Amino acid sequence: MLAYICKYTPIELFESFDVDMTLMEPEVTQFNRADAVLHPNVCAYVKGVLEAFADLVKTRGDVEGMIITSCCDSGRRLYDALSVTYPDKFIYLLDLPRKITPEAVSLFTENVSRMVSAYSEHTGRAFYSDGMIRPLKAYLKAHPAPLKKDKGDEDALSVGLMGGRCGKAFMDTLKRHHVHLAFDVTCSHLARLFDPDEIHKLSDYCEQLLSQFPCMRMMGAEDRLNMLDDFEDKIDGLIYHTVKFCDQYHYEGAALRKLQDFSVPVLYVETDLTPQSSGQIETRLEAFLEEIKARRQHKNQKAVPESQLKTPAPKPLKITEKGKAKGPYVLGIDSGSTSTNAVITDGSGQILAWDIVRTGAKSIASAEKAMHQVLEKAHLSAEDLSQVVSTGYGRNHLPFSNQEITEITCHAKGAHAIDPSVRTILDIGGQDSKAIRLNDKGDVVDFVMNDKCAAGTGRFLEMMAHTLGVSLDELGQLSLNSKEDIRISSMCTVFAESEVISLIAQNKEPEDIAHGVHVAIAGRAISLLRRVGIEPAVMMTGGVAKNPGIIAVLEEELGQKLVIADQPEIVGAYGAALLAKK
Amino acid sequence: MDLVHRYGEWIKNKLPDNPKAAGRYIRLGLVLESFAKKHLGDKNVPAPYRDLNVLALNGMRHTLEHPETAAWTNLFTPVEILQTFGLNCLSIEMMGSFLAGFTIEDWCIDQAEASGIAPTLCSYHKSFIGAVENGLIPNPKCAVTTSIVCDANLQTFRYTASQGNVPLTLLDIPNAYSKDGVHYVVTQLKAWIASLEDLTHQHFDEAKLKAALSRENASFAAYAHFLDLTRTRAYPSTLTLQMFVLYASHLIIGSPEALAFFKALEADAKTRPVFSGKRLFWLHVLPFYQPALKAAFNLSQKYQIQATDMNLDYNKPLDVDHPLEALAEKMMKNIFVGPLTRRIAAERDLIKGTGADGVIAFNHWGCKQMAGAAALMKDALKDTGVPFLILDGDGIDPRNTPEGQIKTRLEAFLEML
Repeated sequence: MLAYICKYTPIELFESFDVDMTLMEPEVTQFNRADAVLHPNVCAYVKGVLEAFADLVKTRGDVEGMIITSCCDSGRRLYDALSVTYPDKFIYLLDLPRKITPEAVSLFTENVSRMVSAYSEHTGRAFYSDGMIRPLKAYLKAHPAPLKKDKGDEDALSVGLMGGRCGKAFMDTLKRHHVHLAFDVTCSHLARLFDPDEIHKLSDYCEQLLSQFPCMRMMGAEDRLNMLDDFEDKIDGLIYHTVKFCDQYHYEGAALRKLQDFSVPVLYVETDLTPQSSGQIETRLEAFLEEIKARRQHKNQKAVPESQLKTPAPKPLKITEKGKAKGPYVLGIDSGSTSTNAVITDGSGQILAWDIVRTGAKSIASAEKAMHQVLEKAHLSAEDLSQVVSTGYGRNHLPFSNQEITEITCHAKGAHAIDPSVRTILDIGGQDSKAIRLNDKGDVVDFVMNDKCAAGTGRFLEMMAHTLGVSLDELGQLSLNSKEDIRISSMCTVFAESEVISLIAQNKEPEDIAHGVHVAIAGRAISLLRRVGIEPAVMMTGGVAKNPGIIAVLEEELGQKLVIADQPEIVGAYGAALLAKK
Repeated sequence: MDLVHRYGEWIKNKLPDNPKAAGRYIRLGLVLESFAKKHLGDKNVPAPYRDLNVLALNGMRHTLEHPETAAWTNLFTPVEILQTFGLNCLSIEMMGSFLAGFTIEDWCIDQAEASGIAPTLCSYHKSFIGAVENGLIPNPKCAVTTSIVCDANLQTFRYTASQGNVPLTLLDIPNAYSKDGVHYVVTQLKAWIASLEDLTHQHFDEAKLKAALSRENASFAAYAHFLDLTRTRAYPSTLTLQMFVLYASHLIIGSPEALAFFKALEADAKTRPVFSGKRLFWLHVLPFYQPALKAAFNLSQKYQIQATDMNLDYNKPLDVDHPLEALAEKMMKNIFVGPLTRRIAAERDLIKGTGADGVIAFNHWGCKQMAGAAALMKDALKDTGVPFLILDGDGIDPRNTPEGQIKTRLEAFLEML
């Protein structure tokens, strides 16, 4: 068996002489071995392959080696690392030209024959270039490209997939939500269309192999986005996936963002292909699917002229007096990483009671506590509730919930109800931060989230406060008295902590350090906001919105006042309650 | 806050509203800097280095003031061919360094990231993209890049060139040397030359190219002799100056000015006293702003950086009679091309050749090439017996360079020597 990683590998050639070819699709949870020989900053896929290949060699007796194309820097380093680690295996670097000219085809053909000779030498099996074509043609005829399946379910959302390769967890989530894939042009996708009748010699096969839909490292890739013209009215959404530390596809992602006339919603998502990042992927994917579903429904409804749309006046976050409220009562519960927030509303959407509980080691226990307390405040019992809607990181694990909706949609709904003029939301939570843009109806138009790490989140602030030896509340107040501009350059929590320690050692004023910390976070937040576009009014939600230091810095940088609800933490839970099925 | 930093902050404040004005101030800054280096320069810096500094600043300014005679390139572009057409090169790496010199690289980098460019991409590329997108760098006559060393070379050029409709050429360099490979590269060079003829309305003059290659051979012979002399002699330099040598060895190589510089370096080294400190050989780029490294190496009498491998990535004599084949071979046999075993063998020779007592490999943020290679090289080069230090950081962006970590690692390493 030979493993391979790239769609330009001559798989059919090897399979035609009975070599079992296996595409490496690593599902690993740790990069310990890979980090030791390579570096943590090498592409996550390559590190995963290094780990998975070690397991493969251990569990399967027939692993002969791996074919690696010279497709990218990280791939070439994979070859270097594997050839040192497995000197007895057939680890081969196949050089792949970036152009498709007659000279490139003849060079690539030469490289392929050289590889076959090297494989022949390694295995002791004899192959002759003259004898290769007949079995290859027979193989290609016996294995035609599969016909594209018809879209089965008319209601299924139709989505296109572009960018770098996606992991199994990612594809499974799409499947679970019955998403119809209109196209998939990521690296691992093998859309091979050979014409066996036109193949008379090895170079014909090599030319057809090179002429596939180009990946980003090929010349000609500049026209890839043109394919979207054919799909614009056939898909509900486009998912653009990138792999952490693979920078190549971001260029196309950036070009896609600049396409003025492409009206399909796009989700940009980055993973490191580990199952760990699946929690976050889930949230983003689900929010995106909710967004495009709503968009499709709006499209199908008759459009209402804008003049007839009345903008309701801003609703203060008012609590209905006891006795005046009328059922049915609805509980919205936001199970976040730092706090669990609960809101009960009555039939008219007015808030009856709310409560905030710090999320403990078990999110279910914290949610139960929050529910219990908020019911008590509202003088209700669990039986009085007609609906429970959960949102937040832990939304899928609450046994008493009837419906789960992502916090993105919930924040949008809650913010819109509090102040209908809000078009952009910045939510800084404990473990992640998000920027969300809405339309005048409160629907999500676009959103982005931060990376997996804690940079620019509430957790980061907590760590910095801890290092400075003050409470979170004091940190915000402190920074308002700052006199000197100090820059905290590192956004990595670990590096920033040592930077703060060295500032303390330099006898810098805590006020100025606190201010520097807030400027750093605000910088991150603004770049998130920019990615969705900043349209006033901007509301800030989440616990960090109670910090006057960061608000001051953000308002200064944005040049506008922020809208802050009375209780910024419960906006998501409030939105969840409002979204309960009528 | 020093003067340069303050000037940078001032430019940065101009940037969001008026990038064109900011671009003018950058050019003015280059004039002032080159004046300062010429007339007020540190007398401890050897004269050839001071002259090179002025030459590079003026060259840079020229490409910004006369974009119609400029070509965007990377460090590995065969600039000898551009010279025959009277085109000057503006390389991504050089531009990134200058933006960092004005301390405005962070603004440019943030702009690129906000457009959707990967935060994990090399900072030279990010700052270049940010500067182009915001109108700090005027559109050149053309752009040409090679596939050597890094994936980003093709991507960044394609991305920036397409925005300003700049004619772009990619020279795709195979990973291994072969006859078919040479044919592939020479065919591309010929097509590129034809496109330059169209663009500039000039005929390609092969005699000019041959003369450039002869000067290049003489330049590298002089540099080799200089390196041999400084095995025993003191020759003070700085992190920045080592980076400036790249200007001579790559961006104007083949020109009379480059030859004059290397000749002057060789002649000056002969007059220098014996060096009794420790010699270091550097791998990859140098973070010229980094305080701990500056303190240890700049004009130091205890530690001397002999060279960086970037300046010695290919210097076998070129076959002047077959100039295009010679340039093809130069690119294909560059030590950064091909499997790592080739680079390791080359580094082993360089470490021995420069008489280094220690090796520092700088793992520049975002460079996948170096990140994957550093640990493997350290392991393979154990047989030289020369201590090897890997430093993680960023060539231009201090935000990716953990200061405390570098200081501790460096000091421990120097104590070890």
